[in-house]
Amino acid sequence: MKNIKNEDRIFKIINYTFLTLLTFLTIYPFYYILIISLNSGIDASRGGIYFFPRVLTFENYEKILSDSKWINALGVSVFRTVVGTILSVFFTSIVAYGLSHKTLVFRKFYYSIIIFSMYFSGGLIPYYVLLKSLGITNTVWVYIIPLLLNSFLVLIMISFFNEISPSLRESAYIDGANDLRIFLQIILPISKPVLATAVLFTAVNHWNSWIDSAYFVSKPGLRTMSYLMMEIINRSQASNMGDLQSAFRSTTSVTTRSIQSAVIIVSTVPILLSYPFLQKYFVKGIMLGSVKE
Amino acid sequence: MINNSLTGKKHANHLWNSFKKQAYLQAFVLIGILFLFVFSYIPMIGLIIAFKDYVLTDGVKGFFTSPWVGLKYFMEFFTEVDSGMIIRNTFGISILKVIFTFPVPIIFAIMISEVGPLKYKKVVQTASYLPHFISWVVVYGLVFSFFSNDGVINSALKSLNIIDKSLPFLTDPSKFWPLAVISDAWKEFGWWAIIFIAAIVGIDPSIYEAAQIDGASRLQKIRYVTLPGIQGTICVVLILTLGNLLGGGMSGSNFEQSLLLGNNLNREASEILQTHILKVGLVQLRYSYAAAVGMLQSVISVVMIFGSNFIIKKLSGTGLY
Repeated sequence: MKNIKNEDRIFKIINYTFLTLLTFLTIYPFYYILIISLNSGIDASRGGIYFFPRVLTFENYEKILSDSKWINALGVSVFRTVVGTILSVFFTSIVAYGLSHKTLVFRKFYYSIIIFSMYFSGGLIPYYVLLKSLGITNTVWVYIIPLLLNSFLVLIMISFFNEISPSLRESAYIDGANDLRIFLQIILPISKPVLATAVLFTAVNHWNSWIDSAYFVSKPGLRTMSYLMMEIINRSQASNMGDLQSAFRSTTSVTTRSIQSAVIIVSTVPILLSYPFLQKYFVKGIMLGSVKE
Repeated sequence: MINNSLTGKKHANHLWNSFKKQAYLQAFVLIGILFLFVFSYIPMIGLIIAFKDYVLTDGVKGFFTSPWVGLKYFMEFFTEVDSGMIIRNTFGISILKVIFTFPVPIIFAIMISEVGPLKYKKVVQTASYLPHFISWVVVYGLVFSFFSNDGVINSALKSLNIIDKSLPFLTDPSKFWPLAVISDAWKEFGWWAIIFIAAIVGIDPSIYEAAQIDGASRLQKIRYVTLPGIQGTICVVLILTLGNLLGGGMSGSNFEQSLLLGNNLNREASEILQTHILKVGLVQLRYSYAAAVGMLQSVISVVMIFGSNFIIKKLSGTGLY
């Protein structure tokens, strides 16, 4: 018995140490970027900053917010995230609502079309050809239209709608409501948990996307924030490899590296602020998804 | 006979009547199906350009009208390109991820389930899945800040006099695979742990009590109660992981990782099928060739999904279908 107690105590110590260390490893990179973004760029390039800013300044943020290129990219990202998410969640949920009816004619057939499209894809090239033929490349719609329907979320939503009592719908039928009205006025308002999950997944996906901005769009005014962020990190990477000089260094105390840190913070903060509130919803969402998949 | 065709007709009539009654619902679903037809199935049909000489100006119509060339582009991939290196990287990174990043969320879930204080638990778990929601571009920025020549790790090692010249983490080919695996594990362990934590919560507490009475230590409880209790969940997640092996396992991160962390200097370790397709197709504009390589990727993926499901079902009795 004594032995077991000792063993358990050692286990406990190791466990807490490990978890605390892991949490530190998760948080610290973000914290580090935050203090670099709040420090003068020239000063930071001398190194040695690990826990607190040495020369506190908001210059890096001012620089971004006064640069029309960044403001424009921020606008594009916000637009695609807000508009894209609203349209996509609405479209996805209405399709899922239709499919959730067990008596739906051809239901099995529709299901197999959806499932097959999740497992097999034509890949990048034919997809690009399609976007090009539809004439949506190089417009803002290339960010929004292809992401309107999310098959994975359709499945999650179906399992949610299935749990809604059918009597709710039947009584509405008797009152003479059609399915569109039932969906809009009865189903949507009581589906907040699953809608919140869908909004979170879709919005994060929109906010983080950059490949579509890099390859389906060439007008500078249509670039998203994530794309510009990729570009600036590539630039510091190149200067790090000795290819070229830091672009900002001559004029102010701002450097490519410090700007880059501020941009990372700007693009991370919206996610940081929203996800703790949506936690209870998406934990449920991922469980449903993984069980039903 | 007559009877049969009559009931058949009746059946069709009945079907049509219910279809009409469901007009709204059918419309909702059919818009979705139409969308999938355009954005998923037309590209699938478009894969036939892998066997044709396709030019972009022909658009979707060119899928059908361009001339056949047989296996020309597949042969080209296997004979004229460094396809051996690309295939090695695609499988190498993916297999390493299954071996090293798959167990991390399981271990983490078990460890956090052993923790008593709720508040501590909550903080640790909330922090753990934060990186899941961050884009790979941000992770690229973090990796760059820590691992570049004048990054945190190199300057810390230098100021401690452990090294005197920066270690080229980001440009040395031999460091790309570990970098890809570690950054993937860092980003996704907390997210996938959610499923395992829920499975552990679902284990009947009376089994733990019985083990307690029998004098089991905590490690023994983990070994004989927790692990068997979550075996089914582990199998399901393993199937999903193997099914998406080429994409980069559970979170499908290979493409973005290789695109962002890959560069000319570490190319021999970072080039994978997907980045090759992108560069050849959308940068060099060789559509038919790129579609041929894309077809290889799609076919291998489907085989992996059904193959892994089949094998694990045979071994453990747990499968998806």
